[in-house]
Amino acid sequence: MLTTTRRGVMAGGAALLAGMAGMRPAEAQARRILVITSNQDIPNFDPHLASGYSTAMAMRNVYDSLVRVEGNPPKPVPHLAQSWTMSEDGREYTFKLDPAAKFHDGSPVDAAAVKYSIERLLRLNRGNAWMVAGIVDPAGTEVVDAQTVRVKLLTPFVPFLSVLPWVWIVNPKQVEANKGSDDGQTWLRTNIAGSGAFNITRAEAGNLYQFERVADGWRKGGGNLTGAIWKITRETATQRLMVQRGEAQIAVDLTSEDMEALKGRPGVNLILEPEYRTFQIKMNSKHGPLADKNLRKAIACAFNYQGMLDVSGYAELMKGPLPESIDGFDKELPIYRTDLEKAKEFLAKSRSPNGGIKLTLAHVSGLEQQRRWALVLLDSLRALNIELDIKPMIWPDMVAACRSPETVPDFFMVYQTANYGDADNLAYAGFHSSRNGNWQNPVYANPEVDAVLDQARAEADPEKRRELYKKFQRIVMDDSPDIFGVLEMRKLAMRNNVKGFAFTPVASNAIELFPLSLG
Amino acid sequence: MSATAHPRVESWRRGFYRFRQSWVSVLGLLIVLVLLVLAIGGAHLTPFPQHIQGVVDTSSRLQPPSMSYWFGTNELGQDVFSLVVAGTRISLLAGMAVVIVGAAFGVFVGALAGFFGGWVDEVLMRIADLKLTIPGLILAMAVAAALGPGIVNMIFAIALSWWPGYARLVRGEVMAKREETFVLASRAMGAGTGRLLWRHILPNIVSPIIVKMSLDMGFAILTVASLGFIGIGVKPPTPEWGSLLSVARVNMPDYWWTAIFPGLAIFLAVFGFNLLGDGLRDLLDPKARR
Amino acid sequence: MLGYILRRILLLVPVLLGLSLLVFAIARLLPGDPVALAAGPNATAADVASVAREFGLDQPLPLQYWNYLTGILHGDFGVSIFTRRPVAEDLAAFLPATLELVLAAMFLAIGFGIPLGLMAAVFRNRWPDFLSRTVSLGAISMPRFFLGLVFQLFFAMWLGWLPLSGRFPLIEEPPPTVTGLLTVDAVLSGQFHALGIALSHLALPAIAMALSPLATIMRMMRASTIEVLQQDYVLTERALGLSQRLILFKYVLKNAISATLTVIGLYFGWLLGGTVLVETVFDWPGIGLYATQAVLTQDFMPIIGVTLCIGAIFVTVNLVVDMLYGLLNPKVRYQ
Repeated sequence: MLTTTRRGVMAGGAALLAGMAGMRPAEAQARRILVITSNQDIPNFDPHLASGYSTAMAMRNVYDSLVRVEGNPPKPVPHLAQSWTMSEDGREYTFKLDPAAKFHDGSPVDAAAVKYSIERLLRLNRGNAWMVAGIVDPAGTEVVDAQTVRVKLLTPFVPFLSVLPWVWIVNPKQVEANKGSDDGQTWLRTNIAGSGAFNITRAEAGNLYQFERVADGWRKGGGNLTGAIWKITRETATQRLMVQRGEAQIAVDLTSEDMEALKGRPGVNLILEPEYRTFQIKMNSKHGPLADKNLRKAIACAFNYQGMLDVSGYAELMKGPLPESIDGFDKELPIYRTDLEKAKEFLAKSRSPNGGIKLTLAHVSGLEQQRRWALVLLDSLRALNIELDIKPMIWPDMVAACRSPETVPDFFMVYQTANYGDADNLAYAGFHSSRNGNWQNPVYANPEVDAVLDQARAEADPEKRRELYKKFQRIVMDDSPDIFGVLEMRKLAMRNNVKGFAFTPVASNAIELFPLSLG
Repeated sequence: MSATAHPRVESWRRGFYRFRQSWVSVLGLLIVLVLLVLAIGGAHLTPFPQHIQGVVDTSSRLQPPSMSYWFGTNELGQDVFSLVVAGTRISLLAGMAVVIVGAAFGVFVGALAGFFGGWVDEVLMRIADLKLTIPGLILAMAVAAALGPGIVNMIFAIALSWWPGYARLVRGEVMAKREETFVLASRAMGAGTGRLLWRHILPNIVSPIIVKMSLDMGFAILTVASLGFIGIGVKPPTPEWGSLLSVARVNMPDYWWTAIFPGLAIFLAVFGFNLLGDGLRDLLDPKARR
Repeated sequence: MLGYILRRILLLVPVLLGLSLLVFAIARLLPGDPVALAAGPNATAADVASVAREFGLDQPLPLQYWNYLTGILHGDFGVSIFTRRPVAEDLAAFLPATLELVLAAMFLAIGFGIPLGLMAAVFRNRWPDFLSRTVSLGAISMPRFFLGLVFQLFFAMWLGWLPLSGRFPLIEEPPPTVTGLLTVDAVLSGQFHALGIALSHLALPAIAMALSPLATIMRMMRASTIEVLQQDYVLTERALGLSQRLILFKYVLKNAISATLTVIGLYFGWLLGGTVLVETVFDWPGIGLYATQAVLTQDFMPIIGVTLCIGAIFVTVNLVVDMLYGLLNPKVRYQ
């Protein structure tokens, strides 16, 4: 801090004219700090309450999980757990913990901490708990010895290892010491009790979060970063310019136009990769005019898919409820494409054969892509003589509207990001009736689908599993509860001095800092 | 019969002369007239009226200004010129509605306070004072966000912070007029309070109100655009200037035309009404002239 | 005089009370379900009830208001239902940035408005006058957010002279906090490099904010100076051979001060409220941006906090301005 002074005297005057903001004093090089610009705040540091990609970014850097996800296609790899075994019936996992692992306060990450964390997650039943709720036996986690922990499942669950990267292990000592009356929620909201390679040293809500490499962390190796900043920048154009000017090294929320504008800029690398992030327009199949299957099908046929793709930029159209690259995708699935003849046929069979109705659509206010797609839908519905009332809503209001079918709008736009690369994630979260009342699946319920999904979750034979998911896709296609939209490419821009980044198609915008270096 | 026979005609004539003398006022009038024509003509004057209704043309997205698209096209392939022209009617109507609702409510409150005086006056004016200490924009933001998007909600939200100015103005005038001979006389002749206010006092304070309304018009349009810019304005696909600008921010700098033209439209409208308001003040309210 | 000041300060109490009641009423009577919102996506009815209890939202409204009011006396502005952070802390963190912006804008407005107004008066009805009058009307009519965007487009995006947004580069160490105003802190600690950086970030938003009050000051200065120049005693003194420059200096100074005071009183609240737009454009981490976020998430505690805070600053500034007026011109004092 003081060392900047001398330089400052010389540079100060020129700074105003020259706009020195882009330049950095030599000191910053020694403190290798990576700036990531994103438009999403990190409202809560409690690892068992949080969801959303910005929080996932914070969590995966300050907390550790039993396994990590790595590679493309993604695979679970050892993390806190050095190795693991699964019982014959798939209902018991035994993890051997890394004896070197320790929390920031020096105490070891032991089997008791794992047990404590899993129990706390299930007890609070918020955040990522849905991934394991009803699967992990809340009373079944067992400390075998300090380094060995056994987890019992209520039912076999094939993608179990894939959800574990999102189950964070807290330091029971610290949480117990600050337990309060709410299981430590108040304390963990703003404090870290983790073992991750980084810690959060500065938090300015709505502005920035600073991460600093923990001095003698247990994990050896990794990149040369000494710290990182998660900077909240609401406008994507600003994010793009920050990377272009070197004020930030990574931008995570860019639009296709931003990527176009950055193409060929010196010093900028672009990452454009398919990822399991689906977008669909859900229809209220339980309440209102869209409870009519024929009307839903008419709309699915009238929708201007090409127009949607045109305004999406780097994206491909979905061909059903599952992304094409996921194991279990049905290649022969009959899908809807713009076909006005067919749309009018379906409309004629519906309860409003001549249209003349007005439907409502909700999308997240401020999300530019969703706004554009809403306007494409508005234009498409005109052909059926249906009016569309577009309501931009804040996300929490949309979530609240999902509670009962009466308050769910006729159309409801959602992005679904897969946390694990298994068909179960998108299928279960988006179509199983146990998720009704939740934004991922507000109303759609079909007992047949439920049965198939439950069966597939527990089916260990890959071939049988694929068959089950095929069946699921056919039923859903016939019910037509959603307009299946696009699979957006993941769009990241990165300065070329960022080294060590390897793309993994799950939550890749929740940047993992550990392997990164600044060159 | 000479014009000097009637003092009011004379003062109008003089005012009009002054108005014409000042070229800025004439410029303001011209701008406002053009805006009115655009507002009334609306979609009929645009090359792509269907785009205003929300038709998209995704094959010609983000085209720069050209002979066929004077202001270029936006991210949905819609003609920016058509959208900006269509926005005139919305902004003008919304601005006018804000001013009229605000003025009507303010006049009502001010007349009550001024005429009755005493505690009625005290209470109403303290509320008005309080309102003046809250930044109108933040209040309007809060109210508009809670009520949800939509032009009526927005007008209501803005008008809510617009009335105290009128209330004060009217109260002062009513208090002054209340003691004048003709009011006292008609009261002596048994005129009721409401009738007195309506028939005798209000007509006498119409000019300062009109002057204030015309001066406020520009700022009302500006506030409407501000709310649109923050993202709590009208519902899509209504082409409101502020929301057009707000949406176009992500297109800068490469597709600057999507942002610059709606912004210029806001500026021009506000500028026109401010110039005209200044001129009208000279015309109708010579006392206030500096 | 002392009695007058005391009375004015005492009068602040009911004004602030009324203000808090009004804001509280508006925020709480609006539709929207803050509790369900705070409880989160997967909350059960029991969760919702527990959140309501946590924030005291299950109590009757008058009691909620009373609790809020007594909290304020202890510097507690409630807790944001969304981030669960104390609003007082957030306000303390964001207010300095806004104040810095508003003060810089005021400074620019006064610094340029007064000389320009003088110039317009001296060159009355000649081209500098016409030019400055038209430009000033234009400046008043210019939406700040649009001006900010145009500035960004030209000076940051195309020319690259000034930073696009933000208050200070992220990886640089800001000067040690004393006042919270980065420019002042940089001067206090002698870090002129940091001062340069802070000024380069401040320039565009401050100019975008300053234009409208600048134009107002200019018009006022012009009008009052012309008035002075036409007065009998000035004409007499000029006839007596005093130079115009001396006359200007002698009489105009007082006008300048009074015009400045008026504009400060008028514009301080306006600027504070208007930072919302400029802060949104320039991503300036002040209470305007904070308020926008809160409004978009219907987080009413921060909304009440920001509104009260701005209202209180506005009322206080006006009190000070009134008192200075009284000093300057004893006649107005007891109006």
